[in-house]
Amino acid sequence: MASSTAGSSICMKFASCSLEHAQASGRTSRLRSVSLPTNKTFQSLRSSTGPHRLQVCCAAKPETVGKVCEIVKKQLALPDDSEVTGESKFAALGADSLDTVEIVMGLEEEFGISVEEESAQSILTVQDAADLIEKLIEKKATN
Amino acid sequence: MNLLWRTVRIPMNTFCLHRTFAASALHLAPVQLPSRAESHLWYLVPDEVKSVSLLGQYSEILSPCENEYVACIRGEQLKKTALLARVLVRTTIARYQTDGYIDPRSLKFRKNIHGKPELEWDNDDSGSRPPVQFNISHTASLIACGVTSSSPIGVDIEKKDRKIQNNIISFARRYFTPNEVERLSSISDLNVQRQHFLKLWTLKEAYVKALGKGISALPFSTFTIKSRNFEKKELNGSGDSDPEITVESVDGQRSLLSNWQFTLLELAGTHFAAVCVARDGSMGGKNMFNFGLGYGKHFTGLKSILTVSDKCFTPKKLTVMKTIPFVGDESMSGTDAAIVCGF
Repeated sequence: MASSTAGSSICMKFASCSLEHAQASGRTSRLRSVSLPTNKTFQSLRSSTGPHRLQVCCAAKPETVGKVCEIVKKQLALPDDSEVTGESKFAALGADSLDTVEIVMGLEEEFGISVEEESAQSILTVQDAADLIEKLIEKKATN
Repeated sequence: MNLLWRTVRIPMNTFCLHRTFAASALHLAPVQLPSRAESHLWYLVPDEVKSVSLLGQYSEILSPCENEYVACIRGEQLKKTALLARVLVRTTIARYQTDGYIDPRSLKFRKNIHGKPELEWDNDDSGSRPPVQFNISHTASLIACGVTSSSPIGVDIEKKDRKIQNNIISFARRYFTPNEVERLSSISDLNVQRQHFLKLWTLKEAYVKALGKGISALPFSTFTIKSRNFEKKELNGSGDSDPEITVESVDGQRSLLSNWQFTLLELAGTHFAAVCVARDGSMGGKNMFNFGLGYGKHFTGLKSILTVSDKCFTPKKLTVMKTIPFVGDESMSGTDAAIVCGF
């Protein structure tokens, strides 16, 4: 799970990374998505200013998560004040397969990306969707 | 008191609220396995299950894991549907007992690599396991479970009045095949177009579910579902009443995948239901369809299409049953609640 200690800030991403934790640590997002193999070593680090500080963050921007929540609420006809967060699972919100594809299509249009159907299987939570979006945006930018 | 229920036809809108159901006294009436030429489709209407005590008993059938999952779901209606879906699967499968009573609580499930639920058996269960294949689908207002004895099966249902958030043609261009986009685009009435979209969606979902994959493993743009009847009409202006729905892979050869049979229904007056079943391997030629269902206006009283040779003959029959587990069943075959619909 994510951890941060005084003097260094290291945020490790596992399958379900809590956005709240990243916010609580006082760091806002830095969006490289780090994929971790099971032995939990990280594959990329970015050092920020100061020799003793390593900063590796991976959760998508809060704005991205927020936008995904908005699109999800609209698709599932949930009231504006209903609780949808990064941790919300699509299935638990009542999304069926058609909802999920409609949501992905909405995200494609909103963010100008293309999500292959093969990736859809790995999108279980709002956070998963947001992280994938960020990854695709970055990939698009570097091409 | 012996609360052994037999499969009798009871009015489904009466419900004995004054009875208290003790889990140990609840029994499931056994059901005969479908033959190789048959499929069963069971469905349940959540709104008809109102008894708090019965719902409580249902919870006791679920595994701790399933109960935890149901507890995580937000919203009472969604929770209830999730509970009833799992109850329908467990109780339905348990009824296909070949060697003595099966406790629905004893069934174990796992998911295949693509997430399709399957029965899981310990080595010592081989004596009492019902040799069934199943697939489930649900909306907020209906739960359906298809069962065969050996053929892979996929079931998908959608509410007939479901609205699509995205533009239908844009959606189809993005996810379906050019042939399917063309067919949808040719429908000028937007409501009919929307309904055709939903039918197409359920057929495509039923197919990938029968294969044990999902849309991720088998993108919808890789295969076309079409109506042989519609194609004939287009070609020579005359359509016979052959209701055959077919699937073709979208590759260089556009090969017909003839080992899959589709049935498309209007179920309970409220939903489209698609059932996809692998055909019996003994077939040698064209299959015969013997529908034990009511007929929509598209098929005028046709009961069966005879093949030239009996050796090619493989009738496939779909029996539709409405049920409330532990309460009773009602056969819906041949009624307005199960109508084969055109595509």
